[in-house]
Amino acid sequence: CNSSKMIGDLNPSETLTQGYVIDQQAIDLVPVGSSREQVLLALGTPSTKATFDNEAFYYISQTRKRYVAFDKPRLVDQKVLAVYFGEDGRVTQIANYGLKDGKVFDFISRTTPTGGKDQNFLSQIINGASKLAPGLPGGSGGMPGG
Amino acid sequence: CMSSEKDVDLSTYVEQTEPADVLYNQGLANLNAGRLQEASRKFSAVDRQHPYSEYARKSMVMGAFADYRQGNYSEAIGSAKRYLTLYPSTDDAAYAQYIIGLSYYRQIRDVTQDQKETRQTVQTMQDLVTRWPDSEYVDDAKEKIRFANDQLAGKEMQIGRYYLERREYIAAVKRFRNVVETYSNTRHVEEALARLTESYYAMGLTSEAQTAAAVLGTNYPDSVWYKDSYKLLQSGGLEPRENAGSWIAKAGKLITGA
Amino acid sequence: VQFVATSAAEAAVVSRVEVSGNQRVDADTIRNYITIKPGKAFSSADIDDAVKALFGTGLFSDVQINQVGSSLVVKVSEYQVVNQVLFQGNKKLKDNALAAAVQLKPRGTFSQQALDADVEAVKAAYRRIGRDDAAVTTQIMDLGDNRVNVVFNINEGGRTQIAAVNFVGNSAYSSRRLSDVISTKRSTFLSFVLRDDVYDDDKLRADQELLRRFYYNHGYADFQVVSAVGELDETTNKYTVTITVQEGDRYTFGEVSVESTIPEVDGASLQSVVETHKGDVYNAKNVEDTIIALTEKVAGSGYAFAQVTPRGDRNFENHTISVVYTIDQGTKAYVERIEIRGNDRTRDYVIRREFDVSEGDAFNQVLIQRAKKRLEALDYFEKVEVSTVPGSEPDQVVLVVDVVEKSTGEFSVGAGYSTGGDTSGPSIEGSITERNFLGRGQFIKLSAGGGKNSRDYSFSFTEPYFLGRRIAAGFDVFNRTRNYDEYESETIGATVRFGLPITDNISTQLAYNISQEKYKLDDDCDVDNDGEPDAGCDVSEAIFEGIQESPWLKSSVSLGLVYNTIDDMKNPHEGIYANVTTEVAGLGGDAKFVKVTARGSVYQTLSEQLDLVGLVSGGAGHVQGFGGGDLRIFDHFQSSDRMIRGFAYGGIGPVDSDGFDDHLGGTTYFNASAEAQFPMPVIPESFGLRGAVFADAATLYGSKVSADLVDQSTTDMQWRASVGVGLMWASPFGPIRIDYAIPVLKEDTDDVQEFNFGISTRF
Repeated sequence: CNSSKMIGDLNPSETLTQGYVIDQQAIDLVPVGSSREQVLLALGTPSTKATFDNEAFYYISQTRKRYVAFDKPRLVDQKVLAVYFGEDGRVTQIANYGLKDGKVFDFISRTTPTGGKDQNFLSQIINGASKLAPGLPGGSGGMPGG
Repeated sequence: CMSSEKDVDLSTYVEQTEPADVLYNQGLANLNAGRLQEASRKFSAVDRQHPYSEYARKSMVMGAFADYRQGNYSEAIGSAKRYLTLYPSTDDAAYAQYIIGLSYYRQIRDVTQDQKETRQTVQTMQDLVTRWPDSEYVDDAKEKIRFANDQLAGKEMQIGRYYLERREYIAAVKRFRNVVETYSNTRHVEEALARLTESYYAMGLTSEAQTAAAVLGTNYPDSVWYKDSYKLLQSGGLEPRENAGSWIAKAGKLITGA
Repeated sequence: VQFVATSAAEAAVVSRVEVSGNQRVDADTIRNYITIKPGKAFSSADIDDAVKALFGTGLFSDVQINQVGSSLVVKVSEYQVVNQVLFQGNKKLKDNALAAAVQLKPRGTFSQQALDADVEAVKAAYRRIGRDDAAVTTQIMDLGDNRVNVVFNINEGGRTQIAAVNFVGNSAYSSRRLSDVISTKRSTFLSFVLRDDVYDDDKLRADQELLRRFYYNHGYADFQVVSAVGELDETTNKYTVTITVQEGDRYTFGEVSVESTIPEVDGASLQSVVETHKGDVYNAKNVEDTIIALTEKVAGSGYAFAQVTPRGDRNFENHTISVVYTIDQGTKAYVERIEIRGNDRTRDYVIRREFDVSEGDAFNQVLIQRAKKRLEALDYFEKVEVSTVPGSEPDQVVLVVDVVEKSTGEFSVGAGYSTGGDTSGPSIEGSITERNFLGRGQFIKLSAGGGKNSRDYSFSFTEPYFLGRRIAAGFDVFNRTRNYDEYESETIGATVRFGLPITDNISTQLAYNISQEKYKLDDDCDVDNDGEPDAGCDVSEAIFEGIQESPWLKSSVSLGLVYNTIDDMKNPHEGIYANVTTEVAGLGGDAKFVKVTARGSVYQTLSEQLDLVGLVSGGAGHVQGFGGGDLRIFDHFQSSDRMIRGFAYGGIGPVDSDGFDDHLGGTTYFNASAEAQFPMPVIPESFGLRGAVFADAATLYGSKVSADLVDQSTTDMQWRASVGVGLMWASPFGPIRIDYAIPVLKEDTDDVQEFNFGISTRF
């Protein structure tokens, strides 16, 4: 029988890698001095760029662990590969930022108000309830007893 | 057990028709008296029974207005569009286009839902402004375009905040950047810059965080968002300094047109 | 000269544009559509464009443009205008339903092709409700001035039914079992309610896919549907559906291995994740689950682009399939944006949170398919489509999620009848349920119900993503009144609960509940209302002692653990369902006890051909007072048909010492049951009737009520047993079960009740 499935279930932790997939050989292909096109070819499109005229590329990757199925995935590792370009469009510096560089603080809760009509409770119940169960006795609702 | 509608006896069935002008005037009377249901029924009767008369043309656009006022927006859009195919060059055409735009505008939903009506509002009102630049409705059309774009920016912000809460900075930065770059003339740009400061700061890219805060500071010095960003950077011992070459600085100029 | 002339014609100029033949559309409009203007050079291409433009408006049946001297003559003939569209002779489909299905609309233009298309549309509408022989003729009434009335004369004909669904070539599974698998059913007396006997080609194609999946999941890798065809017998207006299949041999798994072309990923180490084992019966679903598990494992360790492809090669002699899962580097693409469309009511985040993939992450098809399954499992949508659109860069992709919402609100009235539980007799319940409250994914239910001697009111609310986690937090508020022979009780209470899934199969529920129970003697038992039972009213001293302790406040915490691998909750063939619940009462309030209950059921298909399913289940429970006080009588366990059939509710266990044979309930119980379920042999399978033979055994003993009030001879562990037969019907009103059980081992103080009837799924 599917006993292994039973065992497999007991270590429910799950890892999620998100963002850019870092590939060490590809990084070695673009040492300081290589051109912007070489970087794009080797590393692909950056997660985000720093300038209109491509002054720096940021390749960001995060790893999260979800120890138990109901939990929110926790950020366990974060790497930011920053490739800085000089005026001539050549790589001047490559920097790595880890999770320790990041700061943890709670974000401002205020939000800029927006418009648009939103349904209230009643309108939803009315059009929701329009689907009356079949007229015959014993609609599809829950049955008492038994 | 289904009650069947009574079948109409074809031979004797003849729809009683009234002259076009009588029907049209009854429609107008009902409209002014506020009986919108009755008004739109009269206008559609004119359109159906006398499709050639000048009254038919007028009643099509008045019918659209009556439908719009009652809130059945899809009928209003339907008859206004039919008017535009039949009479694109008359002076009422701009008004028909305006009614279509307004009908979509009234159906704009909350930012957490699908924004297709918002996009349709922008497109229809944009058509109005380009095809009838000197029509009396252009000013209000521009106002509605501004509101609709503000709403689209609001949706980007809502999704950006969703990712920020989950600390998925890549997705958050993408959304906030999109607001700063494409919706720079909306009210959300201040918050977008402040959120960018938070995201970059949380990731440890302090130079980008400083630039974002600096652009916010120069363009909206007394904005409450700037005060928050300033306080945030302050707590980390950093001054918001503008990194001139950075894309945000350029976007900043875009806003102020400097 | 020749050359010059053609070029001259090429660059002709006209001084005037004349329009003729138009009635409704005015001339300026027509001039507006054509680009040729007086005094401007134009070519024959311009003329073609003008003709196309005018046809494009859909207003004209014919357009001719040619140059006559110095003026351009545009001759048009307009389509007629539809004044009214009338439907005659339609009963089953209402006018507005048909009006929506046809193209011709009042005030729109009339064209012959639109009319022909509409005739087909009306016929298709009738085919969908099972009336394939509906006849549609049309009449055009000319009202003059180029206006017409369109009339559809409809003869609806009789309901087209399905006489029989025959399977040919099936030896491994009986035709009865296969007809359970497909959705096209034979017509039965119930069909006018179920509407499941409508013949439809698409449905039959979908059925073929259902059969393929069924056989692939049960080892028949070579299974093929040779043909599936429905012939309509004109005279009887009935279809006979014949499905010929070729089953092929049954395969088991041979060697199973994992290979990887990615250097750092070692295939062997991933063997533990594989769900297909050597010797197991071949099962396509397990292969799919393995692919998902392997992809998640490899993606988790940093290779987000990895692609897992299974390669199976058959060994025809010993009918085994050996499977090799190859892992190789897929294309490097990132998700640039996730666009969600069509959510007119559901909030954006309710959909987005089902995706473990975010914007900026690697594009992984398997994880996206899993998110799609999760969205469908929410049951908020008719349809969920996830498609990809190229992004702004070659390695960027935009995910487009199109959803079509369905109504998730339900106002339902339910009637029930049951002999088990303390609400025996007929009962009725009305409830309003909304599964996607305000589009926020929350569930609310307001229900009121009543029976001969019971009233129930309850309100419940659940937020599935409490604090951004997959915690189903919610609360229920309820009011229950019961009146028994000599006394009546009213309970008002509330529960706050947190459901936490641990893995796909294991979930726990933590809850705090507070409730107040009020007991009082019936009016006829205590006429003078002095609080003492009158002479004629024979309520036992023990129960009266419990009544006097009213009102009774219980404040308790409970923890439940559920392990569930049942394949189909409504019609289980395979899997285990087990739950253990512990309740500790005593956080303030009067009640002080620890109550532990456990129940487990194991389903196993005994024979595929006969569709015979075996069920073994067992249960146990113990309640222990603490803090010195006796255990209140109403906190003891009472027996019910879920414990043992063949006995009345509260029909076994310790009795009072006053000789009234009132059953006071026990502190501990054990029960076990063995059952075999099989399809009813004679009756056609589309009724959904199944029979069962079972044997139950149970014991309920121990009583913490004050010693002198209990008949001590009935408090020790005496086993009761019963055997019986059952009838199960998956009716349109819900699963109905009727049991007839005869006690074979009982005590003389027990109340026997052979017959038991209930509407509910029993787990």
